[in-house]
Amino acid sequence: MSRLTDIPLPEELIERARHGEETAQAAIYGAVAPAVFALIRRLVGNRAVAEDLFQDTMLACFQRLGDFRGEAPLGAWLRQIAISRCLMYLRSPWHRARLHWDFADDDVSSRPRLLPVTPAASADAVDVERALASLTPVGRAVVWLFEVEGYSHEEIAGLFGRSVSFSKSQLARALARLRQGLAPPAEDQEACTPI
Amino acid sequence: MHTDIAAKNISRRLRAAVEASDEAPYDWAEFQRRRQQSIVTRVIERNRTAAIAASVVAAVVVVAYPFGRLIPRHEPAHVQARTTARTDLSEAQDQVRTRALEGWLAGLPRERVIVRVGTRAAVSSLQDQIAALDDLTSAERLAGARPARLDALDRQRAQLVTSLAQLQYAEMLASANP
Repeated sequence: MSRLTDIPLPEELIERARHGEETAQAAIYGAVAPAVFALIRRLVGNRAVAEDLFQDTMLACFQRLGDFRGEAPLGAWLRQIAISRCLMYLRSPWHRARLHWDFADDDVSSRPRLLPVTPAASADAVDVERALASLTPVGRAVVWLFEVEGYSHEEIAGLFGRSVSFSKSQLARALARLRQGLAPPAEDQEACTPI
Repeated sequence: MHTDIAAKNISRRLRAAVEASDEAPYDWAEFQRRRQQSIVTRVIERNRTAAIAASVVAAVVVVAYPFGRLIPRHEPAHVQARTTARTDLSEAQDQVRTRALEGWLAGLPRERVIVRVGTRAAVSSLQDQIAALDDLTSAERLAGARPARLDALDRQRAQLVTSLAQLQYAEMLASANP
């Protein structure tokens, strides 16, 4: 489950933000921004693009807060906005053109590491980030939506405007590549080490 | 069975990576600044003629500049003689002009209100070329290069600074005249 949907935000705070109160909007921003950005960053990779999409998402959030009916948590609503922005970007001709330049050479080892690793991350998180960076953007988005955000194949297919088998095949390919790229975590290695 | 365990393991590690992620975006103040900037950009988008003109100027400068450098100039003998005679004067003028332009560029704000990818790339490219040329000039000077060589490098630099100034001026016009 994504942290975004678990972030508790008081109804009263949302109501004040809905009426344009800046301190309330700042408080909501402070609470959700890291999780929104982390999600977008995982889906699109590139930091500069992620910042643009993040800005768009947060702007849309505050502009459309009046439409938020409070039936689901604000985080879930925000997640939906962020994901649709990211997928719009991944489907855009601009992104495809950029990929053409970035990945003209199909050799995986020559691909740039799209997700730089944060210094404070644990060793395992570093491995995971590296393995994720080796996936194609669509493969990474599918694996993230399915495995972390809990979307079903039907939902992913709907988001991408493709068939369910597209989602399944992308996931299978991405998981196979992750399996290759991910060494067993440190604790597992220790457990297997003979004394 | 083994594949299933591996998939679960991957899933667990991906979720753990979310928890480990401590990457923060920019703060609220920066968000507000960008929000204001996007409002300004939207206003300018309504009158985009000037912005398009700036982009065209930038594109022309970027495209034309390498050709200007690469095409050798075969001038007639009498023109060459006249050029040589005027070299000292034109170099002095170039240096004065370069200094004036650099002063003007230094006075401009570091970040423009509107930043377009096209012009931004062109500006960075020109700045990089100027920096590379400065580096080359220093190296040549240390190696005891001939004055003629150093003058040629100075002239190249003056051309680059002029291009940069034109580009910045076009950007300034575009932002001042929405």
